[in-house]
Amino acid sequence: MAEVRLVDIEKKYGNFLAVPQLNLTIHDGEFLVLLGPSGCGKTTTMRMIAGLEDITSGDIMIENERINNKPPKDRDIAMVFQNYGLYPHMTVRQNIEYPLKLRGMNKADRKVRVKETAEKVELDALLDRRPSELSGGQRQRVALARSIVRTPSIFLMDEPLSNLDAKLRVTMRAELKHLHHELGVTTVYVTHDQMEAMTLATRVAVMRDGRIVQLDTPKKIYAEPADLFVAGFIGSPSMNLIDGAVSGGIFRAPGVEIPVQLADRDGVVLGIRPEQLEITDDASVPFGGKIYALELTGESTLVTFRNGPTSVCARGHADYEADINSPCYLMPKPDARLHLFDRASGERLDG
Amino acid sequence: MKRHLAYVGERALLVLISIVVLFPIAWMFLTAFKQPRDAYSLSLTFEPTLQNFVTVFSHPWNLGSMVLNSVIVATVTVAIAVPCATLAAYSFSRFRMRARKFLFFLILSTQFIPAVVIVLPFFLMFRQLDLLDTRIALIVVNLAIVTPFVIWMIKGFIDAIPTDSEEAAMIDGASRLRVIKDIVLPMAAPGIMTSSIFCFILTWNEFLFALILTRRDAVTLPVGLVNFRTERGDLWELMSAAGVMITVPIFIMALFIQKHFTRGMTAGAVK
Repeated sequence: MAEVRLVDIEKKYGNFLAVPQLNLTIHDGEFLVLLGPSGCGKTTTMRMIAGLEDITSGDIMIENERINNKPPKDRDIAMVFQNYGLYPHMTVRQNIEYPLKLRGMNKADRKVRVKETAEKVELDALLDRRPSELSGGQRQRVALARSIVRTPSIFLMDEPLSNLDAKLRVTMRAELKHLHHELGVTTVYVTHDQMEAMTLATRVAVMRDGRIVQLDTPKKIYAEPADLFVAGFIGSPSMNLIDGAVSGGIFRAPGVEIPVQLADRDGVVLGIRPEQLEITDDASVPFGGKIYALELTGESTLVTFRNGPTSVCARGHADYEADINSPCYLMPKPDARLHLFDRASGERLDG
Repeated sequence: MKRHLAYVGERALLVLISIVVLFPIAWMFLTAFKQPRDAYSLSLTFEPTLQNFVTVFSHPWNLGSMVLNSVIVATVTVAIAVPCATLAAYSFSRFRMRARKFLFFLILSTQFIPAVVIVLPFFLMFRQLDLLDTRIALIVVNLAIVTPFVIWMIKGFIDAIPTDSEEAAMIDGASRLRVIKDIVLPMAAPGIMTSSIFCFILTWNEFLFALILTRRDAVTLPVGLVNFRTERGDLWELMSAAGVMITVPIFIMALFIQKHFTRGMTAGAVK
């Protein structure tokens, strides 16, 4: 277990600045998720922690020790790769055993450790197979087993679930969470899937263009996104973001008219989450338009209405039924939180 | 009907090409088993004999020592070239160094030089070093010819291996050399095997340098063939018997190559 500190980390590829001046402290035992769209520098950041990528400037500290120049093997880390990175010429047993072998553990102890670990991830029946004879989910388990077989001080996971099908991803997600709870090892997890980030993380670092835009607990990030980018990125379906202007304490956009606490100005984006909107028949409510689409998700129906350029989605009751193009009115629930952002800079305008 | 005709035409062409290519080889194999008086006849019926193989191994031809020379030169060349080339190929494939592309081009460019141009400088060099007519000279020359080619070949195979497994091994605690030994070599094994065999064939068949740099002690098989052109005329039946001796090992290796070419080792590494 260990605390990881990134101090003014910078990474350049030639003239391209991939990660500018990044500062981040990952607490001991924390499950930190680096979340962002592809190309935002999250994988580069993780690879720098792993030592697979040189850092251009700055310091990486593990337990207050500067490890910039240490090769990966001396950093006491374990990593799960997106493409698993298994050893195809070795059996599952040999794959899991390899890190122990490299660290000079004797044969009898290795055997016991491999067996314990394989049982933990339910691979014990497959130990003598080769990776090519396994399904995607099983390969994923082998990669996981290989990383937990010796208890490292830090786990790094680079989109470990992205090659699995949707159902398996949910199962494995729960397993990862349980595993982290059980082992308590500091974990850094890279993903572009906000759902994974929300469900797994102790804290989430939302990244964009190599910068951390917001670093907070999933709850806080969901409830109070720092800017327009985070607001649009977190949540599924994502937050309604409506372009408009404020005049006389009222935010106006086509089909929208709602009082807000903000001085008069143009170029304002109003954000409200779909689950905080209620469908009503009352035409005097703040949001109104014609139904554009109805999507049944099982536990609820997503209702999208349009009015000019305005498009608003609300999570309604699963039984809700209406005709496309029929009028639709939405009202914020009593506890609803309105978010206001500056159109141009993306910054938050309220609180 | 049209398709049928095209099919027949295609087959006929293939047969024709095969005949053209295989005829000299077939002729050689037949002649190797002929008695001297049958050597010039084109008849397919003759009394086969193994006498030619006995003759070429005895005085004055002494093919045995040439076989030994060829085996030693080719084996040692492969044994040195392939490990060196593998390390070089790995570096070219994986390390981002200054002037990497230029260096690689430089290595390949050695292959552009016609052998005839450099054979004389080599001759003078080895005379200076008193290494003429030695296997060492041949091994050195063959290394110079073969190594760049093998580097280029093995690099192709290593390029095709995903780096994920290597990075995983480094994080699991392996040093760079350990990674090469435990991960890269097994995964590139079919490619390295193929390259080794190519390397062996190139060296085995090398003629020009062996002809110029050897006289008596270090003569290799291809050069030995020239001996059968005597004042009494060309001894085709003996030359053919020696030719068979040269061809068969290569033939067997070619079969191996085919087997390795069709087998991939990287399946299951990623995704």
